[in-house]
Amino acid sequence: MMLLAFDLLLAAGLLGLAVLVVAGPTLFVSLVAYTVFGLLMAVAWARLGAPDLALAEAAIGAGLTGAMLMLSYRRLLAIRPERTGQRLVRRSRLALPIALACTVLSAGLFMALAGLPEPQRSAGGDALAATAQSEVGNPVTAVLLLFRGYDTLLELLVLLVAWLGVAMVQAQARPSAPRPPAPVPLLDALLAAVVPGTVLVGGYLLHAGGQAPGGAFQAGAVLAAAGVLMALAGRLQPRARATPVQAGLLVLGLLVFTAAGLWPLAAGQPLLALDGLATVYAVEAAMTVSIALGLCLLFLGAAGLGSK
Amino acid sequence: MAAQDLVWLGVAAGLVGLGVYGVLVAGHLLRKLLALNLLGTAVFLLMVVLGRRGAATPDPVSQAMVLTGIVVAVSATAFGLALMLALYRRSGEAALDDEAGAPDGDGRD
Amino acid sequence: MSLVELAAALFLLCGCAFFLAGTLGLLRFPDTLSRLHALTKADNVGLLLICIGLAIQSGSLRASLQLGLVWLLALTASTVSAHLVARRAHRQSNGAGR
Repeated sequence: MMLLAFDLLLAAGLLGLAVLVVAGPTLFVSLVAYTVFGLLMAVAWARLGAPDLALAEAAIGAGLTGAMLMLSYRRLLAIRPERTGQRLVRRSRLALPIALACTVLSAGLFMALAGLPEPQRSAGGDALAATAQSEVGNPVTAVLLLFRGYDTLLELLVLLVAWLGVAMVQAQARPSAPRPPAPVPLLDALLAAVVPGTVLVGGYLLHAGGQAPGGAFQAGAVLAAAGVLMALAGRLQPRARATPVQAGLLVLGLLVFTAAGLWPLAAGQPLLALDGLATVYAVEAAMTVSIALGLCLLFLGAAGLGSK
Repeated sequence: MAAQDLVWLGVAAGLVGLGVYGVLVAGHLLRKLLALNLLGTAVFLLMVVLGRRGAATPDPVSQAMVLTGIVVAVSATAFGLALMLALYRRSGEAALDDEAGAPDGDGRD
Repeated sequence: MSLVELAAALFLLCGCAFFLAGTLGLLRFPDTLSRLHALTKADNVGLLLICIGLAIQSGSLRASLQLGLVWLLALTASTVSAHLVARRAHRQSNGAGR
């Protein structure tokens, strides 16, 4: 009963923040509301029994995306200060009809889905059964690497393509020299304390991912957060172009995963039928490096920090 | 369906409505991007909640797909932000700013 | 309800009261510096009380130490972010800008 009350409170908070995101008085309110929304979503995933998602959402949804949005907002302010901070008062005359239509859409969706019968047999059940026979203890990691490898492999490709897109857009940007942030002694002390700890947490998440909540995505996101923190403090100077080492590390995950996925073909197994815990860990480690660097470079590029 | 699942189904359905509303009505591209992300979160929630029905443990397949989806969503958002900033730098004008006070509102009605 | 549960509930309630006070200050105080004052002081004590309450409730040393670590990390982060916000506000109010 208490837990249901907590869920209701959380649900009300999420929906209220979402209203602020789409209809808040200023752009800044929307951004703050969205960042808090990400944090509450992390709690929501934990309540739904999905700790893997809670970890990823806290690091990516609230942390990285929030910082990225704030930096973009600052760039907008720098370009047109008088417009960006203004109250967004004018609305389309279609706003009311659209709002009504969207209410009907939500209500209809809820009615349709609430009436769905419970499935007799689900892919999730099969995956749990198959996980029990593999060496991997965390069913989510097993699905990501053993049963649905295509998803994960192509997800690495999406990250790479997104970075390429950002880099291309950035390359066309008018060069602007960003002011180096003024040194703050306390911030340096924080970095000295937090960055090694973050690396430790990333390593732990990668290691734990085989048997418990965690894995390459969460580890990569946490490591990327450390990189972002250092870049924001002016410790990492972003470049306009990736160095050969960076480029190599960016494709490392893709290369190792592809190699490990092709290997079973030689033994007459299907493509991407990864075998053994050691292979899983090797692929996950390479993925962590690529995801961490990819997210970090995406962040720098999207926030306009890289244009120099 | 359990009461808890109904609550979360309600949140997901509500977010779909709000997301679609935001994508259609918001004038500023940054806000459209946020609305698109809300819509994405709604889909993630739906996948996880529907995967929970009648199961003792949460569905690992939907969780894994959502995990992939979160990273794809942040990649797409980053690309969108970069495009938006490039457009803003180049045009600077009404293309982005309609909502903030151009005389003809969104110019879309 | 045992004595231990009662103590835990008491700590949790006190923690929530501190959070309430901090949020009230954040919403009602006039300028950035006094808002920060309310937020940092009240919320850090509130978090400590909640961590103590949860540690009592968990009854395990491992979980208690983890909760202590959570409090320390949150304390570090809030110290530095409050410092950065205050620094910015101070410079802007002095007309120095940045």
